[in-house]
Amino acid sequence: MKNIVRIIFIALVLTSCEKVVELKYKGNQSRIIIEGNITNEAGPYFVRITKSISLPDTGTYPAIDNAIVTISDDAGYNEILTPQQNGMYRTNALIGEEGRTYTLTVQVENEVYTAQSTMPQHVTFDSIKVEQVLFAGDTERNLIPVYKDPITKGNNYRFVLSVNNKLINQHLVLNDEVRNGNVNILKLEINDDDLKLKRGDELSIKMQCIDKKVALFYTTLALMADNGPGGGTAPNNPPSNISNGALGIFSAHTVDMKSVMIP
Amino acid sequence: MHKKTLIINFVLLFSTTLLLAQSKFTVSGTVKQKSSGETLIGASVAVVEKINVGVVTNEYGFYSLSLPKGKYTLRISYIGYKQELIPVSLESNVTVSINLANETSMQEVVISTKKDNDNLTKATMGTEVLNMQMAAKLPVVFGEKDLVKTIQLMPGVKSNGEGSNGFSVRGGATDQNLILLDEAPVYNASHMLGIFSTFNSDAIKDATIIKGNSPAQFGGRLSSVLDVKMKEGNNKNYKVSGGLGLISSRLTVEGPIQKEKSSFIISGRRTYADIFARLSSDLKDIKLYFYDLNVKANLAINDKNKIFFSGYFGKDVLSVSSIFGSKWGNATGTLRWNSVLSSKLFSNTSFIYSNYDFNVGFKSGGSETNFNSHIKDLNLKQDFTLYANANNTVRFGFNVIHHTITPTKAVGTDIVSNKESRKGLENAVYVSNSWKASDKINLDYGIRFSFYNVLGGDAYNIYKDNQLIHTIHLEKGKIGETYSNWEPRLSVNYRVSNNASIKIGYARNTQNLHLMSNSTGGSPTDQWIGNSYNIKPEVADQVSAGFSKNLNDNAFELNTEAYYKTMQHQIDYRDGADINTVPDIESELLFGKGRSYGLEILLKKKKGTLTGWVGYTISKTERKINGINNGQWYNAKQDRTHDLSIVGIYTLSSKWTLSGTFIYTTGNAVSFPTGKYVLNDMVIYQYANRNADRMPATHRLDVSATYDRPSKGKLHSSWSFGLYNVYGRRNPYSITFKENKSDPKKIDAVQTSLFQWVPSVSYNFNF
Repeated sequence: MKNIVRIIFIALVLTSCEKVVELKYKGNQSRIIIEGNITNEAGPYFVRITKSISLPDTGTYPAIDNAIVTISDDAGYNEILTPQQNGMYRTNALIGEEGRTYTLTVQVENEVYTAQSTMPQHVTFDSIKVEQVLFAGDTERNLIPVYKDPITKGNNYRFVLSVNNKLINQHLVLNDEVRNGNVNILKLEINDDDLKLKRGDELSIKMQCIDKKVALFYTTLALMADNGPGGGTAPNNPPSNISNGALGIFSAHTVDMKSVMIP
Repeated sequence: MHKKTLIINFVLLFSTTLLLAQSKFTVSGTVKQKSSGETLIGASVAVVEKINVGVVTNEYGFYSLSLPKGKYTLRISYIGYKQELIPVSLESNVTVSINLANETSMQEVVISTKKDNDNLTKATMGTEVLNMQMAAKLPVVFGEKDLVKTIQLMPGVKSNGEGSNGFSVRGGATDQNLILLDEAPVYNASHMLGIFSTFNSDAIKDATIIKGNSPAQFGGRLSSVLDVKMKEGNNKNYKVSGGLGLISSRLTVEGPIQKEKSSFIISGRRTYADIFARLSSDLKDIKLYFYDLNVKANLAINDKNKIFFSGYFGKDVLSVSSIFGSKWGNATGTLRWNSVLSSKLFSNTSFIYSNYDFNVGFKSGGSETNFNSHIKDLNLKQDFTLYANANNTVRFGFNVIHHTITPTKAVGTDIVSNKESRKGLENAVYVSNSWKASDKINLDYGIRFSFYNVLGGDAYNIYKDNQLIHTIHLEKGKIGETYSNWEPRLSVNYRVSNNASIKIGYARNTQNLHLMSNSTGGSPTDQWIGNSYNIKPEVADQVSAGFSKNLNDNAFELNTEAYYKTMQHQIDYRDGADINTVPDIESELLFGKGRSYGLEILLKKKKGTLTGWVGYTISKTERKINGINNGQWYNAKQDRTHDLSIVGIYTLSSKWTLSGTFIYTTGNAVSFPTGKYVLNDMVIYQYANRNADRMPATHRLDVSATYDRPSKGKLHSSWSFGLYNVYGRRNPYSITFKENKSDPKKIDAVQTSLFQWVPSVSYNFNF
């Protein structure tokens, strides 16, 4: 959508302008943030519990170290995680397996939060294809993750992009809704306002096969970031798989990583 | 039980008013413009000898008056034209057709085509008629005169954003406006994502907006009717007119087919910004243009029968070399047959075709993806006007529309899509009466019965709390779920004194087609969807009350109106719904209700060298939808507290006209983040209540000057110069939040603004 707006502006010989404005923010209610990951790689796996802070606040995020965190799976395994400082909790013996459903329970400040996530079957990440296109005089680089989507429908993928070892704060997701069971040819929808890829950049992409609820969480974040004409989707807290009003996400996913240098 | 009593009351009311008719004679005919033969809509035909007896011409310039045998004088008047007095001797039914001449000495710009004190005598509420000559003098961005932009300057009508042709009427959504071009519904009335409207003003005769209290012959949308009528063409002489602007050029040819009887008009417009863009080597692979073509012809079969054909074709094209291409457009065709069945009964039959198409395609790495959607209508309308007697004008008729709606569907390499077109039948029958109860009281009342049939040919899923619970396979040709609604309409005008009146009104409107939109701007990716097993007709009930007063011999006109509107079965979609790729969009929908209330004040100065108006609206619009904002009421995004517009047109001399518009509006209701947190090393914003924040206010002054060159022989020409956003205010278009580059712990709010100081020049001619 942004590109369309850009073409119209170019064609009308116009420029839009941006400036930083001061806004009055409503008071923020500090909420519990839970981040949990279980992967098909070797453990330990971590759960992190923090609190949100108000938007203008430039301080640190309060960590919660006195929670009781347990993870169980659908094969009857159950363990209590070990607190590590800085809100981190570590698993001891848990082994992440494809197809298994994990349940996270967090007890903190007299509240109990639970979440469930199922690790999908692993899909092999074959390569990163870098496609160059000339777009209105600029060379743009599209990144196409190459992988073969399985025949069963309902696969969701999340991609975590780093450029020159710097993590890019963008939410990139693909699914098999439109082209099920084929080799992927869709590019990652990268917002190039803040990210200009150039020759020689070292890229690395982590591909995660994620379950439906985790995908909904990241798709919502991605849609909110794409504000087309008129402001786009009304922003909101993305639908989380954690109960009882905590923010964050608990994700059991497979991991595969590829790197490439932009030619 | 309730409904039955209501119907019986209506029938009684109609029969009593009709029985009052005595044996009288009828004078009827058509009112036309003398120089071109264009019919005049809304011209007043009054009887000098009888105070408070008179009618106005209908959409085809036709009038009919029944009076006791005798001698009368008809006074025919229309703003901007010389009044005519015509003696009539009524000893049998007579036909009197009238040609009105332009008032040549006019040194002022008429801002409304309504009769001087129409606002006091007519029961219609919330209605504004737009004069296209006036619209041509107002400043607009890029100098493209635009009736939709002019309508956005009226109280109660709000633009969706800078440069946008989408509008919201009394808290309604963009899709709740019925936009008609010669009776054909236009589904996307904008070009270039909303910067320009699809209405080429050279081909437009007049436009009326009715803010919710529409007469019973209109229906199908909740909030307003924007009724746009194309010119018929000059039936006396061939004429050519056109214009050259920064963005587009226009050319119109009109003339007689049979002299003084029938005529045609062809009007075209095309933009050429892309031709300039192609001169630059960077941009040579870009295609970007739109065009409009309006065609109309009418043929008089005899004195009593006339046939009209009108067509509109418009297309937007946008592509970048071979990697991205997009095309969308409307095509409409209307075939109409006017028939004077008797001196008292006027009939119009319309057959209307309308098609809106959207296509966007992407190419990447040897594969292709196209998204298509379209909506196709076949529409039959039958409308009768019965001029029962001098005090009652009855309208009745029916309307059947067959919709074929193809939702956004992906096609291309490796894609298997199972989305099917859906069909629906939208029907309505109506009857209404305009009754002059006394010299002080006028009543318009009517009822519309609308019903919608879901038609077979597709599978319909039923969802409960967004979970699929049942699927209905409806066979082709079968009728599925049927929804029906009674829509009563009433407005009353009471004239409290010679120059003041009060009005009250109530109207119910329903809507069977709904727009699913990711944006507010009339984007081509918007998709329409009809009623189904989950989606029920939207219903709005509006009560309004108004006060009008005219001052200084009708030089000033003050109209105020307050309204309260409730809306049911409003639709939104849930978070994370990607409406273009989801297999069934109905699984993503949420339902709720809305309410809107406000006060509108409009003060017009209609006479003198300075004319114009001040419009002000204070209003509130809220929604309550299960699954959004914890089910609590929240501000709709189109909610704006204050809306002010000031429009002035100053006639400096016979050559120069100056004009200016100033607008001030409260910012749209939006949600700013209140907090932030870190998840997997990425900062994510925390939100609280939906739309609890405001964008900064928008205000802007635009000016323009028009120079009419003295005529050289038959050639008349004029130059228009404009400056948009005179003081270069950076009005907010969007606000995004980003990490500060030097201090990532700090979050910046970054505001994007569109137009700062846009100058324009255009040249117009006719001969």
